[in-house]
Amino acid sequence: MEYIDAPPAVNFAALSTMVGTAPPVAQDVTYERILRARSEPQNWLTYYGAYDGQRYSPLDQINTENVQRLTPAWVFQFGSSGFHAGQSTYAFEAAPIVVDGVMYLSGWDGWVWAVDARTGRQLWQYKHAIPFDVSLCCGNVNRGVAVAHGKVLATTLNAHVIALDAVSGELVWDTTNGDVRAAESATVAPLVVKDKIIVGSSGGEFGVRGHLDAYYIETGERAWRTYTVPKPGEPGSDTWPDGPAWARGGGNAWVTGTYDPELNLVYWGTGNPAPDFDGAVREGDNLYTDSIIALNPDNGEIRWHYQCTPHDVWDYDSNMECILYDLDGQKLLAHFDKNGYLFTLDRRNGERVRITPFGERITWGEIDGDGRVTPKVVPDKEGEPVHFWPGPAGAKEWTHAAYSPRTEMFYVPVQDVGSEVTLRHREFKESIPYWGASVTVDADDMQGFVKAISAATGEEVWRWRNETPMSASALATAGDLVFVGRPSGEFTAFHARTGEPLWEFQTGSGHHSSPTTYSVDGRQFIAVPVGWGSWIEGIVPAMLGASHGDAVFAFALPQ
Amino acid sequence: MTTRAEQELPELYGQNKATLGRLLAHGGLGRAEEGSDGRLHAHVRIPPDELMWEPSIVVMPHGGDLEIELLNDDTNTHCALLPSNGDSKWMWLPVYSRGKTVLNLDGPGYYWFGSNVGNDEGRGLVGVIAVMGDVPQEARLDRPEQPRP
Repeated sequence: MEYIDAPPAVNFAALSTMVGTAPPVAQDVTYERILRARSEPQNWLTYYGAYDGQRYSPLDQINTENVQRLTPAWVFQFGSSGFHAGQSTYAFEAAPIVVDGVMYLSGWDGWVWAVDARTGRQLWQYKHAIPFDVSLCCGNVNRGVAVAHGKVLATTLNAHVIALDAVSGELVWDTTNGDVRAAESATVAPLVVKDKIIVGSSGGEFGVRGHLDAYYIETGERAWRTYTVPKPGEPGSDTWPDGPAWARGGGNAWVTGTYDPELNLVYWGTGNPAPDFDGAVREGDNLYTDSIIALNPDNGEIRWHYQCTPHDVWDYDSNMECILYDLDGQKLLAHFDKNGYLFTLDRRNGERVRITPFGERITWGEIDGDGRVTPKVVPDKEGEPVHFWPGPAGAKEWTHAAYSPRTEMFYVPVQDVGSEVTLRHREFKESIPYWGASVTVDADDMQGFVKAISAATGEEVWRWRNETPMSASALATAGDLVFVGRPSGEFTAFHARTGEPLWEFQTGSGHHSSPTTYSVDGRQFIAVPVGWGSWIEGIVPAMLGASHGDAVFAFALPQ
Repeated sequence: MTTRAEQELPELYGQNKATLGRLLAHGGLGRAEEGSDGRLHAHVRIPPDELMWEPSIVVMPHGGDLEIELLNDDTNTHCALLPSNGDSKWMWLPVYSRGKTVLNLDGPGYYWFGSNVGNDEGRGLVGVIAVMGDVPQEARLDRPEQPRP
């Protein structure tokens, strides 16, 4: 048979109206500029908007008086395809970065995009090839990129760290960060500190050993690695039993940290110990799991730690954000933990300032004001179910609270969902889920809240109740507004001082991401990725069958 | 090559028999071979009236660049959508055509490929590129060897 030549292969993106390049706005994004991120509120330069993790913007064009007029300005849709996409496999969880009119964000399954922040038009895209069989916990997600020195930096599900040219989207370097054969993956948005990025690993439910790594932005060379579980002989190793438990101990650092440049400390939350529920194989406090750790970003040295749930048998990761704020001359750190308690610490040394509950129903145990932890419901008998609140979903998931320095309040998305857990011992094998229990999350008796918490006292100021748990990040603005998305698809603006809902828009899919605000040519936008999925059976099982999408909505006032 | 599925379930083996389409990835297995240029090479064809790749599973001994030659022996037009770092590669495959492209896959696991022209939808023409090997030593966890399944 005579063959004809097939037409040459092309990059799939060439078959679109994509522009292909972005303006070189990222060239001038430096560490010094990110340090002063809040002085350029037209941009959202780093994961939380600024190093302090407040998720607060000084922009006030959109405010309590005019928010009712907010309308969609543009929508960026991509479309999930491939074998990964499913009700419980992916969600659009990115926190968009915006630099001088260009938005950079990442999606499920190895996608990274640059988008015109004024119009929503796609400028370039990058696709990392992701194996179909990567073990993921929890879901096919990515929480965003970092931008610095002309590069867009991201992690991939198969545990690589990549740098892309911010103008073309082409790969600059690609470094392997973890071992996919041990079920390591990566979902975290990198944090730029000086000449490096810091990333944490994922995979705690598979019995890996968690770590944080720093890479030089220019070369991708690894500068340091710090394990969050010590091996024998290292500080903290006496909190693990003799034997292999430390090597399978979890403690992954899969949510972006915050940074205090004056103290030169990075604050990072660590995940649950493994196995999640079978504490008998890992007697002891199991440091540094479920902890806030403060590290020297220059060398990865752990300077102090505070463990929120010693010897966790309830799956209470402490990965959630560490919000840095100053009040009455104190340098404070606020951390809303999955276990239902707000930890307020002195961020200079980790000393406890205050512990207050913010979760709705807390039955697993009790933490008093002196930090003493008293477990009350423990899955410690093989085959015997126990029920506790909050369940492994936590009183708050990884999604973030916001802090407004205007109101001196935190705005917290709260989940109130319990779970039945039955101890089921299992032997460890690499890349196989390592829970040590059978788990059934309540699907009927659940609710959610947006709660406003006083930063001065830790006490609740106002609350707004939702029928389902709230599972998306809050955004606070100088317009005295708080924006939060709901699992049912509504994107809602609340009055920051009263909690009154002032505006909402049905986006067609549930929210599990972190909204961003920015402005272009003086016009303020509120942007939010929507797309429901990822471990929904664990956080809001009543919404497992809901529609899911993959759009970024940008809202603005009519011109 | 006769597959186990063909032996055990001959009524399923063929389009529009008991099933409307073909069972997933059952066009055999082929191994990419390393050339003197350090690049891996593989050949995949589309046999007539099968809506499948042969082989359906291409094995790479390690991550890296794979030059893959595609041949369409079918009397229908198809295409190939192939995974690669940077962007997927896409190629028309007219009747009795052949072409090559180079893919980059940077680590172990298996990656799917297919044909996304309309008449091939319904998950016919689905294949797998399986990458063997481990990640670099410096990326592996500092711990003793652990049991694997």
